[in-house]
Amino acid sequence: MLTKINVGPIHPSTHGVLRLVVTLDGDTIVDVEPHIGFLHRGVEKLAENRMYMQSESYMEKIDYVAPMAYSDLYVAAVEEAMGIHPNERAKYVRLILLEFQRIASHLLWLGTFCNDLGLMFTMFTWTLKDRDLILNLLQDVTGSRMFYVNMRLGGVSIDLPPNFEEHANKLLDYLEKRFKEYEIFLEKNPVFIERTKGVGVLKKEDAIALGVTGPVLRASGVNFDVRRDYAYYVYEKLHFIPQIQTKGDSFARYKVRMQEMKESIKLIRSALKLMPEGDALGMPIKLISPPVKEKEVIVRRELPRGEGMIFMVTDKQRPYRLSLRTPAFINLSALKYIAKGASYADLFSILGSLDLVMADVDK
Amino acid sequence: MKINKEELIKKLKELSSSGYNYLVKITAVDYIDHLEVIYFIRNMQNKKEENVRLDLKNGESLPTVIEIYKAADYYERELSEMFGIAIEGREVKRLLLEKWDGLEAPLRKSFQWGSDYKSG
Amino acid sequence: MSDERFENAKREMEQLVVDSLKNYKAPVGAFFTNLKEATKAIASGAIRWSRKNSLWPMQFGLACCAMELMDFGASRIDAERKGYLLFRGTPRQCDVMIVAGWVTKAVAPEVKRLYEQMAKPRYVIAYGECAVSGGPWWESYNIIKGIDQILPVDVYVAGCPPKPENLFEALMKLQEKVGGKIED
Repeated sequence: MLTKINVGPIHPSTHGVLRLVVTLDGDTIVDVEPHIGFLHRGVEKLAENRMYMQSESYMEKIDYVAPMAYSDLYVAAVEEAMGIHPNERAKYVRLILLEFQRIASHLLWLGTFCNDLGLMFTMFTWTLKDRDLILNLLQDVTGSRMFYVNMRLGGVSIDLPPNFEEHANKLLDYLEKRFKEYEIFLEKNPVFIERTKGVGVLKKEDAIALGVTGPVLRASGVNFDVRRDYAYYVYEKLHFIPQIQTKGDSFARYKVRMQEMKESIKLIRSALKLMPEGDALGMPIKLISPPVKEKEVIVRRELPRGEGMIFMVTDKQRPYRLSLRTPAFINLSALKYIAKGASYADLFSILGSLDLVMADVDK
Repeated sequence: MKINKEELIKKLKELSSSGYNYLVKITAVDYIDHLEVIYFIRNMQNKKEENVRLDLKNGESLPTVIEIYKAADYYERELSEMFGIAIEGREVKRLLLEKWDGLEAPLRKSFQWGSDYKSG
Repeated sequence: MSDERFENAKREMEQLVVDSLKNYKAPVGAFFTNLKEATKAIASGAIRWSRKNSLWPMQFGLACCAMELMDFGASRIDAERKGYLLFRGTPRQCDVMIVAGWVTKAVAPEVKRLYEQMAKPRYVIAYGECAVSGGPWWESYNIIKGIDQILPVDVYVAGCPPKPENLFEALMKLQEKVGGKIED
């Protein structure tokens, strides 16, 4: 006897608005079908009606947990269309701010993942406090807590303040101590280990065939990272190493993100030492933008959730077609294959470890 | 590389057995008298990327590639509802505009801004 | 004055007092009617005081403004010290619905259904630009321009996103409305 259960659009987890229709046989899952589109507002169509730099604030609201990464992706595409290159100091400044954004995004993921598993609200309040300290530092630099809009053509809008280096180093020392506490709390906890080890296994060939990206791909043993293979800014000088695990279950996906946070701390420390003096300001936004030189542009970046890509066909003052590839869209389509054969209580452990943000799925 | 619609499946099978086994995205651009559909595929061993383009006239249908790449499921569903292309070979349901029957092909250039623009 | 006229005046005064005492009726039930009205006034004042100091919000975070709602309940800006207890998942126990995020045509029937499941008296706060008037997505084909086209709204909070301290002030203004100070 097959029964159908509806996990409705509004449920008390903070992924957003998602509806799942689960077909069960006793306690085993036979089929999962997601219904999406509750947050679709047509960003690709809206961008065809705006000037180039006016749609930068639209791109930030696609993923509201790590907004600076998307605005960097879009401004890099426009820069390549116009033939503008940022100078050395601007590359270092952008890299430091982006890696701080990556740590903040993974901290929020850790808090809500532990909420779903049953360790109610302890890790949530700890990680939100750490994320608040990082957002305070970014507020000192850019002036706002959540939607920064600080990327300009050729650089940033405001340069780093003079005492940034000592504040950043103090914060990084504090974060290293806290990460050791998190590991002791979670990896010796029998509830966490029972619910994540051996749950939701994704093999290497399936991961490549299904097209998943980001930490989900690296936890199954595939050695691919945009920061090393299609390198941008100064990642080659700082000797960046991607983090790989081989088992492919929920515990491996947690471990990859934990190691990525520690790697980001190392990158920020070495970037602060090697940064040259100079001027990192970009062009201010004017009514008439610089002339466009290329017809078609392709740009890739490593966002905290996976790999993002923009393919843009340009016109004189506004884009003719803007096509976005977001990582959460294709990660959600792999849920059907991972959850087959698992028990119903494992569904939320798998869904939480894929790290979805629903506004990213529905563009 | 630019190919015709009839050699699409043969070309993709040849590429996917020679190492290009990861599908990045399927997208389309609307030039008003014809559409251009682009497939982005990647080789995971030597990290090279290739894009395959073809031209579709208005009203033609596109063959499905789901036997070659399993990741094409969501991309084809989104393409068929946003541009109004029919997919031959399997049954596609709407993905993002599920509850809305009157809306046809919003990403085409002929979709007027004012047609569904009244508030409410 | 002579003694007789003084004696006559004294007798008339006493007669007047005795006559007026005859027409006087002592009010027997006054003590008890006052007690009934007094209890009603004290009770309704106590009910209004307890309602306004323990508003329980229902979480309805749809999009980016939900990040600020999570910060509002966390440990830096503490929501529990004023009585707005932990966000509940079910609408049957809640008084206030805080709508945060843009509402599309696919979600709108669910919003209306959840509002009707709350028990009276119930209030609505529109938090953020997208719930007030459609926000930056006003030109899109899939958005409802403002939550007040389907629900009656009590307090509007502007910002994109508003800081959590603004939500504190909005809830204090709602407390004044519940307690009866602001005329609506």
